[in-house]
Amino acid sequence: MTEESSGTTVPEETKASLSKVRWRKKHVKQKLLIVLMTGVIGIILLFVYSLTMGIYTIEFGDAMECLWNIICNFGPDMDSMPEKIIFLLRMPRSVCVLCVGAGLAVAGCVMQALIKNPLVDPYITGVSSGAAFAVVLVSMTEISIGVVASMAVPVAAIIGAVAAFALTMTVAEIAGGKAMSYVLAGVIISTGLSAANTLIIYFNANDYVGIMKWMFGSFADLTWDNAYVIAAGTLVPILVAFLFSKRLNILLLGEDQAQYLGIDVRKTKRIMMVLIAILAAFCVAYCGVIGFIGLIIPHVCRMIFGGDHRLLIPCSAIVGALVMLIADIACKTLAAPSELPIGAIVAVIGVPFFLFLMVKEGRRYVM
Amino acid sequence: MSCDPTITVDGLVFGYKKGKNNLNGVNFAIDQGEVVALLGPNGSGKTTMMRCINRVVKISEGKVVIDGTDLSTLSREGISRMCTTVPADVPTDFSLTLKEFVSLGRSPYVTGWLWESDEDMLLIERTMEDFGILHYADRRLSELSSGERARALLAKGVVQEPKVMMVDEPSAHLDVKYKIQVMEMLRDLAAKGFTIIMASHDLNLVTRYCDKVMLLSKGAIIAYGAPAEVVTSEAIKEVFDIDVKVITDHGIPYIIPTPPEDADEGDVRDA
Repeated sequence: MTEESSGTTVPEETKASLSKVRWRKKHVKQKLLIVLMTGVIGIILLFVYSLTMGIYTIEFGDAMECLWNIICNFGPDMDSMPEKIIFLLRMPRSVCVLCVGAGLAVAGCVMQALIKNPLVDPYITGVSSGAAFAVVLVSMTEISIGVVASMAVPVAAIIGAVAAFALTMTVAEIAGGKAMSYVLAGVIISTGLSAANTLIIYFNANDYVGIMKWMFGSFADLTWDNAYVIAAGTLVPILVAFLFSKRLNILLLGEDQAQYLGIDVRKTKRIMMVLIAILAAFCVAYCGVIGFIGLIIPHVCRMIFGGDHRLLIPCSAIVGALVMLIADIACKTLAAPSELPIGAIVAVIGVPFFLFLMVKEGRRYVM
Repeated sequence: MSCDPTITVDGLVFGYKKGKNNLNGVNFAIDQGEVVALLGPNGSGKTTMMRCINRVVKISEGKVVIDGTDLSTLSREGISRMCTTVPADVPTDFSLTLKEFVSLGRSPYVTGWLWESDEDMLLIERTMEDFGILHYADRRLSELSSGERARALLAKGVVQEPKVMMVDEPSAHLDVKYKIQVMEMLRDLAAKGFTIIMASHDLNLVTRYCDKVMLLSKGAIIAYGAPAEVVTSEAIKEVFDIDVKVITDHGIPYIIPTPPEDADEGDVRDA
């Protein structure tokens, strides 16, 4: 602990209180550090465990060794079967699972703060239905013209998500730009797009099975190329959201109060909304629509860690990533060799835990 | 500079809708350390005036000068260091602790991306101690009583260190004891150099605790001056459209509403 050694004389009493303040501040930072460390260790252990799961059995110790070799040699030893399987098949998948889990949870956390509504999730701005609509359209035309491009679905999803989001934003801004305007505009746009989806699928029922996997959410068949895109598209917005966490705290006080504290509310909200749209779009692009995480994880974290976004955003990211990875391991193993839809598994794991927390903390809890 | 007023409002015109002004050319000046009360019926422009001074809304004409600086030349953050508004109450539908809440008041000065400096935290804790809420620091806002929340709101305004603190109906939700407590706190703040503008509906508290009273009606100032000069039964009748008796005790006017039948007794003064 270093005291200022400048020429100004600081009274002894102030010095003593300053050191007390420093101690308390260190306490808060330590809390954050402990949560981060525990979370990262948990994620690493689960990550290695997830690498052992699959048709080709690999022991935990072997998986650890393979991972270590891959990191040290900047790639797998192509003569070693387990290393190849881990590097080419299992690692990209688990990386995607972690990023999407963290991304959805943070997106939900920020959305709930911006719109001040506990029932909001990252999809409320029309992102999911826009993406789904575009994917359905692309799948139908793809089948009819017989061209199968691996990039078609994710690109369509991102375009659909961003377009639907832009539409929602425009409607909300015209309607006054209040928090409620975003919710209402999002609900209206989503409903319209879902209805269009239903009609298209109804008239093309035979091709429906092809896009079922995407609509239920799935992490199967992801490669490193996909993982790079997902990681960049989620981790960068999460970091930006974390840097905005102080402003998110201020926005909780309401628009007028935030302005009295020197925040340009409209501008900040716009930046955050665009950020969330990008984040959510990359989350749905390859893996489809996975609900629950974005809605529930932020509430769970608020109940446990409190409402300060400086703590809440990193915690949501870690808990979201962990829950998603557990769900992915479960959906790979429970009905092996076939896979269960991850969206449903996430809910099956999450609901009892959330119910427990609600019963325990619900009386005290406000968003 | 000591003789210049802290805040000068010059020809302020503003309307929420085009063609209908909620404030029609308001002019006034307030010296440092004064407590000024805005009195007027609902819709007379009290809150609107505060919003205009704070630049939450864009004024159509006129200017606001605080401490020699025209607010229109300042950024939003710059304005937030000059003046702020303490609302009557705060939404409690979020999980911030009392300390986190008060700390938000310091944010116009926090330069780091995430954390307040040690000096900022010291100021925050000392202010909370002054307001007697430091021992609730880790309680959630939703768990506090309205009296404790009123003190938290004032503490948040104080750590913002504005030159001019506007307080919107500080006693609206409080019982008599807390009302008086809050008014005493405002007087203490004024003694420390804060200039305070307060909107209120509580006529008698205002005349007891404020240096000056500004009577507002339909977006214009009807009268502005010391309570004893401004608060007369005629002025109250004009602004609020009620019949009152004004009784003066130790130079402070007290207002007693009279039922319509004995209104013709008029202005009875005991002194």
